[in-house]
Amino acid sequence: MHLLAQDLVNGILAGGILAVVALGFSLVWGIMNIINLAHGAFIMVGAYVTYQLFTTFHLDPFVSLPISFVLLFALGYLIQHYLLNWVARAPILSTFLLTFGLSLLIVNIALIVWTGDTRGVTTAYSGTNFTLGDVTVPWAKLYTLLGALTITGVMQLWLTRSRTGRAIRATSMDIGAAQLSGVRVTQIYAIVFALGAGLAGVAGTLISLSYALNPSMGDPFLIKAFVVCVLGGLGSVQGALVGGLAYGIIEAFATQIDVTIGTQHISGSGLQDAIALVVLLIVLVVRPTGIMGRPTA
Amino acid sequence: MSRSRTNAALERIGLGGITGNPVAFALVLAAMALLLAVPLTHNGYVELVFRNILMYAAMAYGWNLIGGYCGYVSFGQVTFFGLGAYCAGSLAHGGIDNLFAYVAVAMLVSAIFAIVIGLPVLRLRGHYFAIATLGIALAVTDIVANLDALGGTGGLALHQVDEAHFYIYYYAMWLVALGAMLATYFIARSKLGYAFVAIRENEDAAAVLGISATRYKIVAWAIGAMMAGAAGAVFAPANGFIDPSITFSVDSNVFPIAMTILGGIGTVAGPFIGALLLAGANELLQRTFVKAHTLFFGAMIVLIVLLLPRGLVWLFGLRGGARTWLKSLSAFRA
Repeated sequence: MHLLAQDLVNGILAGGILAVVALGFSLVWGIMNIINLAHGAFIMVGAYVTYQLFTTFHLDPFVSLPISFVLLFALGYLIQHYLLNWVARAPILSTFLLTFGLSLLIVNIALIVWTGDTRGVTTAYSGTNFTLGDVTVPWAKLYTLLGALTITGVMQLWLTRSRTGRAIRATSMDIGAAQLSGVRVTQIYAIVFALGAGLAGVAGTLISLSYALNPSMGDPFLIKAFVVCVLGGLGSVQGALVGGLAYGIIEAFATQIDVTIGTQHISGSGLQDAIALVVLLIVLVVRPTGIMGRPTA
Repeated sequence: MSRSRTNAALERIGLGGITGNPVAFALVLAAMALLLAVPLTHNGYVELVFRNILMYAAMAYGWNLIGGYCGYVSFGQVTFFGLGAYCAGSLAHGGIDNLFAYVAVAMLVSAIFAIVIGLPVLRLRGHYFAIATLGIALAVTDIVANLDALGGTGGLALHQVDEAHFYIYYYAMWLVALGAMLATYFIARSKLGYAFVAIRENEDAAAVLGISATRYKIVAWAIGAMMAGAAGAVFAPANGFIDPSITFSVDSNVFPIAMTILGGIGTVAGPFIGALLLAGANELLQRTFVKAHTLFFGAMIVLIVLLLPRGLVWLFGLRGGARTWLKSLSAFRA
């Protein structure tokens, strides 16, 4: 029984990070209809910014969090303004391929700057944990979860209460109507893409606390961002949160599968991705709008 | 009547009809004829480079049917390539050593798998379809890596002909690529091709006209799967060894897509031109910049998208030179 509780806690802790990982990706996809394949690379850059600030200036990751947000926000703004705007009205494949090329570029620049060595951010609270009954909770992951919940909360408030936030939501609902009401759509797009990149930077910072760093670390998170978006529903903050937690829990339980059929041994930890992706396929076919999504016309 | 109108519309945007620009297609056929001479160089490296180009071309043709003609962007093409390779691997371990048998079984298995998986997945549209296919590719990779019968992550070794006869694999791959190209040409000109384009341009309108979209999409998807499967079945013995990371690699998944776009989606010449240029450029970059070649490759993809959003074949139909080209670029700006 205690294993079940431990899995649930592990799933929730991992799900909090996944929610932030998916948040920026989901906004860019839902509002701009761009699948940003460079999202994983942005996450990696965020993690390395945190690593660099930690090793050079001994800044705690939670202190460097705003810095990596601002840096990635600026990077995202430049990319949207100078590259994506060029192909804004080209067939959808163009943005796919463009962001894929960008991701190759960014990852390989990181490979030159930081080499392919695995690195880590080891704070005073890394590796420490507390127990609650039978359940062990690492402090770093708990802080990360709290950070993730705060960020999704702030994002939700900003999107619903602020003027820019409302303009963003209006643009995602109906571009034409938004333009008629005086929303400058190109500006909104630049802000949304920059925000997506900034949130990826934040996700990178949070990830650096409990995962090892290397230039290709973003890829698995990119794939998870896909699944979380579809699970939760596109373009909404609640969707990313619910999807992230759901995916985290599914993954945590899937790792516990351990059966042998004939001579074939099946272990859940090896099939983690396969199980989650089968879940994804089922959701796509049965409820394509996601858990929190509303059906669209 | 409606066929000639479709062709006229495609001509207007510079694509030159349902099969693409005829000059480009003639050039590609001539290039294929020239490629017959590659094994005469008796240079194993050159042969390998061009065999890879032909392999990517076959996969790109497979992707072009569903992604280019039907407009359904698939990230799952590598699944069928891998299935084909593993069909050959399993047959080889069962004591069968016949290239034709490998290809035939691989095509059959790929088509059946494509139909079974296509029935639910092809109901999805746009990004959701793309992600579902990516999910299939990753899930199948994971499953194969965990099946002891297929060698797991350790992979399978295949018996190869002795080195003096390696040209057999080259010509087999050449035939697969040519088959994929000609199949695309004749399919595009048939009723199927027009149905595919109708689905790409407006699926709902196509349905109203009496085109059973799901059925046509599954046909395109299954034929494309057979092309990739056949390429995989030749690749496995030619490479002598397969494992999940080689056969289901990200490169094999993304290269054919990038190649088709570079050449020109929804054309017969495009995938081959793209494969020739991109695989060739990648090889040169790898030799020149041992460490940083992926960086240049990424930059190249970015430039292609920015400067040639409609692909190279489109340049063949371009009237008015550089000025029209620049004007067409600004048409995509926000």
